Order: sequence, then C-alpha cells, then structure tokens
Amino acid sequence: MAVKFPSEEWIKELEVSLNSSESYAQAAATWEGDQIFVILPDDNYHDTTYFYIDLQHGKASGARQLRSPDEQKALFTSSAPFGTWRKVLESRLDPIQAMFSNKIKVVGSMAAVQRTPKATYELTKVAASIDTDFGP
Amino acid sequence: MHGYLGRILRVDLSRGAISDEALNEDYARRYVGGSGLAARYLYDVLDASTDPLGPDNPLLFMTGPLVGTSMTSAGRYSVCARSPLTRIWGEANSGGFFGPELRYAGYDGLWITGAAKAPVWLSIVEGKAELHDAGRVWGSDTYVTQDRLRESLGEAKVRVACIGLAGEHRVKLAGIANDHGRFAARTGLGAVMGSKNLKAIAVRGSGKVPLHAPDEFKAITNQILALFKGDTPSQSLREFGTAGYLNLAHMLGDLPIRYFQLGEHAPADALSGVDMAEQFLRRNTACHKCIIACGRETRSPAYDDDKVDGPEYEALGALGSLLMIFDLQAVIHASHLCNLYGMDVISLGVTLGLACELFERGLLTPADTGGLDIRYGDAEMVFRLIELTSRREGFGAVLAEGNAALAERAGVPELSATVNRLEVPMHDPRAYMGMAVTYALSPRGACHMQGDMYELDLGRDNGEDINLVPGDRHDPNIEKGRTAARLQAWRNLYNSLTLCQFENPPAPLLVAALNAATGWSLAAEDLLPIGRRIVNVKRLLNMKLGLTRANDRLPDLLLKPLEKGGAAGYVPDMPSLLSGAYAEFGWDPETGRPPVESTL
Repeated sequence: MAVKFPSEEWIKELEVSLNSSESYAQAAATWEGDQIFVILPDDNYHDTTYFYIDLQHGKASGARQLRSPDEQKALFTSSAPFGTWRKVLESRLDPIQAMFSNKIKVVGSMAAVQRTPKATYELTKVAASIDTDFGP
Repeated sequence: MHGYLGRILRVDLSRGAISDEALNEDYARRYVGGSGLAARYLYDVLDASTDPLGPDNPLLFMTGPLVGTSMTSAGRYSVCARSPLTRIWGEANSGGFFGPELRYAGYDGLWITGAAKAPVWLSIVEGKAELHDAGRVWGSDTYVTQDRLRESLGEAKVRVACIGLAGEHRVKLAGIANDHGRFAARTGLGAVMGSKNLKAIAVRGSGKVPLHAPDEFKAITNQILALFKGDTPSQSLREFGTAGYLNLAHMLGDLPIRYFQLGEHAPADALSGVDMAEQFLRRNTACHKCIIACGRETRSPAYDDDKVDGPEYEALGALGSLLMIFDLQAVIHASHLCNLYGMDVISLGVTLGLACELFERGLLTPADTGGLDIRYGDAEMVFRLIELTSRREGFGAVLAEGNAALAERAGVPELSATVNRLEVPMHDPRAYMGMAVTYALSPRGACHMQGDMYELDLGRDNGEDINLVPGDRHDPNIEKGRTAARLQAWRNLYNSLTLCQFENPPAPLLVAALNAATGWSLAAEDLLPIGRRIVNVKRLLNMKLGLTRANDRLPDLLLKPLEKGGAAGYVPDMPSLLSGAYAEFGWDPETGRPPVESTL
C-alpha cells in the first residue's frame, strides 16, 4: 500500500529501505552526516514539513518528522517545495542537478555530498523505490 | 565614452617607443572588450604569414567595460595573440587584480609589438608608461619576479603580470602569471611575451572607471551581489574551490584518467577537493570584488611547500588522475612548480600523459628521453619533467612543443589529445555530449571555458531569457549542438566582458549593469547576437590563419567509448551535434564559414 508523502510513516519507511539496500550501504560507506529535509509549501501542498534522518557509514537511524527545525540540529539542511521533491522522488529531476540549480537549497557543509555523490544518488534511488502517495 | 577609459597603450619594443591610441569606439560597441575586441583588432593585422614568435605578432592585454567597477566577478583581463602552440587565434584570461589595476592606471588595454634587444619590463603608473632593464629578474620565477618589481616601484598595491622560465625559453605551454598564482595560462602566450624579451608588466593607478549612471549601476550590482550570497553553487565553490567537483566528475565519467582511457578508477577519489580543503587548505583567496573566493591557498608539507596557489580541479586532473598520480600532496607540489615556472597545467599534464602512454606502448624509449623512464604514477618523474620542460633541457625540449608535436614525432598523431593543437582539458565529451561541440568549435582549440556544458547540464540554469536551460548530458542530438553553440556565444560574450564564469546573473540584470555603465540601450535579447558576432570574428580570423571546416573535429581518442563509469558506452555523434551548432551560428554547412557582413 502506498505511503503518503510527506509523513512520519514515509520517513520511517525510508530508514527501513535504506537499511536493507546493499547498494546504498556500499555507496555511503564513508558518509558521515545527519540531514534535515524541508518540504516547503507550493500550489499542491500547503504545509511545511521537516524530516530528520541520521546517516552514518551506509546505515540510517533516528528517522522522524520534526515539529520544528529547532528541535534537532543536523550537518546540513536541504529545502525545496513539495513539487520539487516529488519530481526527485519520481526520478524526473536529478538530485545533484537540483542542488546546483538552487532548486534544492542546501544550508550547511556540502562536504559529505561532494565527497560521496554516489551516496546521494543511491539514497534518491532508494527513496524513489518507495511506493509513495503524493496526494491529489 | 562611459564604461571605458578610451585609451590603448601602444608599446613597440623594437624601437622602445610608447604612445597612446584612442580606443576604437565602433569596435568596442560591436565586440565589447576582452578577447572579442582584441580579435576584431587583430583581424585587421594578422595573416597566415605572421610568425607567432616574431616581432610582428602583436600581444594584446584587454579588459572589459565592467572591469574595475563594483560589479562582482569583473576582475579579469584577456591576453591575445596568434598562438605559437596552435598557430591559430590565441587567447587566455586571468582573474586577480591586474585587470582592474590596469584600468585604474588609465588604460583599457595594451598593444605590444616588436622585440626588445635585451630583457625589459614595463611599468604603467598613473597613466605614465616606462620600460626598464629586466636583467635583475630575468631567470627568476614568477613569484620572485612579482615581488621584486613590486618592491622596485615601492607600492604594495602594484600588480604584476609576468612570465617565468618557461616563457623566457619560449616553451609553447607557457602562460602569464599575476597576483602570484593566477594565470592567463592557455595557448602559449607566455612564449609570445618571452619572444619579445618582455619579462613583466607592472601596473598601479588611482583612476576610476567613468560610469554613465553611477547610482543606478551601484544599485544593480548590489542586486546581483545579493543573488550569490546564499546560493548552493557559490557555497560549494567557497568551501572547496573548483576542486570540489572532482568526486562528482569521477562519478559522472567526466574526470579523465590514465590519458583519457579509463572511465573510473577508485583511487582517483583520493584527489578529492573536500579532502584537500580539510587537510591542506591554508585559506581562500578572492579576485576583485568577488564574494565567492573560490581560490585556494594550500600547503604540501611532504614537499616543504608552505604556500601554494591552487590547485584547481583542472590541475588535479591534468597532473593527477591523467598521470595516475593519486597523492594530493604530490599534485599540489607539481602544480606549484608549474606556477613558479609559468606553465599551463592542462597543456603540460596532457603532454606528459601522452609521454607516459607512448612509453607504455614502447613508442618512446630511454634512448629518446635521455635515459628517463617515463611511467604512469611516478610523481618524482613528473617533477623532473616539469623542470626540464621549463628550461627546454634534454627531453624537456620535446615536451615544450606540446602534445600534438609529440604525437607526430612518435608517428602516432591519432594518440594526440588536442583540438587544433590545444590540449583537451579535464572534462570528457563522452560524459557531456555538448562538450564535443565546445571543444571542436572553440576558437582557441580545446577549451572548457568557451562553453561550459558540464555546468549547464549539471544544473546551472542561465535562464530562459537566453534559452540556456539544463538538459540531459547524454543527448547527442542536433538540439544539444544548438544549445552548446548558444552557450559558446554566451561565454564568448563573458570573455569579452572579461567576467568570471562562476557568477551568472540573469541576462536582464547583466544587460542593465552594462547599460548603466556604458549608456548603451541594449536589451537582454541583444546579448547572444553580440556573443555570436564575437565567435564569428574569431572564426573568420582563424580561417585567415588557415583553419577550415575539416578542423572541426575531436581527437580519435575521445571518440572511443569508455568501458566503465558514468560515461561508459557514450560517444558524441559529431555530425548531428555539429549540424545543430552550425545552424545556430549561421555558418555555411559546407564550408563552415560565418557570414562576413554581419560579423565585421
């Protein structure tokens, strides 16, 4: 059954999926860094949602939806409108292309992204494999 | 005349004569400045008989109308002449502070002809130019030369452009240094300067650039500045410099490895710009009015280098992965040697890469190299060859002629990695199909700064105003060819404004700044046609110098598919890509000739 995006259920599903992905584990073997994803409102989504996930050496933990961005500090924060995230999750927008065109705005150290770009691609692949309900 | 000082300094080194000449206002309006304006000037005087290293080959230093103003990224200058390496149009440009200081000293550009009987250096201080005996600095490296001449003039803010040993020895890979490790590196123009016995040019001034509407200009440039304060690409460049791209380039198959023959190789990730920033970065450095500060000042303790400018991504590739050297400190040191001796890291690295490949195949032996074993992965050998090349000593005299000459000498021109004899930079056209057009049609030979399709297709959106939006990097079709041609026109405009390509304001803001500076009434849609005119004048000049449609090609090496990595299996479809580009430029599909009437 499709999981609604964005929701607590979805980010927890991402954690489970990442932890069962061998290709993600390999690509992110040297990755050290937790992240906050911010889903901003647009025409099709009217709230702001914050996801937190800790990513260390190819394993994910602590995934949850935050009540506010102040609840948890992270190495970097990636923000984009709902429609942009949807395009990434539907593999219609390359995640790195989105970052370098400012469609996804990154605040914080870019070190992990730039040192191990494969990890970002694998994470996106895993996220895209989740059966997701984006709503009407 | 707003936006320009209105003066070019003419220096005839044979006669020791110095004079001022009014800037050709019509040319400036049509070709803007920098390399575009220089190309139009040189179209009138160069022909196929001009010896690139002879006294009649003019060496031009040019700025643009925004240089030295409050416009961010407007700190560059261009150097232009017939190239001794390629024998076609030669241009190189550099950042730092030399370009703005030349304007403050009173000039839009310099036109240098002749050859001095003995080494000289030129000073231009507050509008007054003088030639001086360069005996004290001839033979010195680029850093010592800059420091000594600054001391001679007694002012810390003097900016010096100079050659190192490579330029003095007319090494065809020699560049021109300024602000210590900034380089107008490509096409061997340091050798042209050396052939004129001109060691350096020192500039200092306190003048201002006359602006048409100063308050409006300031407001626009502030607006532009605000755009780049928090954006992701600027942040990345600030943190890791251009070197920050290396791991991504490797993943995408854009990083050349083992002389363009490997698509991926795990040890290459050790050349990471992120690692370099974390382990060896001393500080960031910035050019005039730049808020990004992508420049690196690094150190390499293993080689006792305490202050090194760079290396950039290009140096990490050319002196690292291309030669199978994956030790960051060794590459930092090799890059430093190139800075000191004044050589283009790209051309040198690609020439050394061919030497390794020839040695590997038995096409070069110790009998050819003066007893040297030139192997991939041998950093000490690279240091030795850099030294030899800079002095044209032993086998260095062969390397000093560049990659194409070495391939011909070995009887394997098909192994050359050049376009029109200029060595291919560290972006593989099998990873970005648009780069095939950029290289094949670049006015100066293989050059990534004549159309950075890797940036565009990586996501940098230049906007719909100029129809340059990111696409699929692997598309090999006619439309990709058209896009690459538009980007080449756009970058030729940038190289004529002499703007840095790392800050890309939307076209309406850029044209507003240009209009406020000059008093012109251009619209955003006028900019691309100007860029196209600049490409075309360089093309017409190149055709005068012997270039034909048959020169519009990639080296065989880059038309073979890679077996692994992010570019595996892809090969540019040259006929499709070129037909798109020709149509975009308005060139004759049979002859490749641009329309003369709308160009000149």
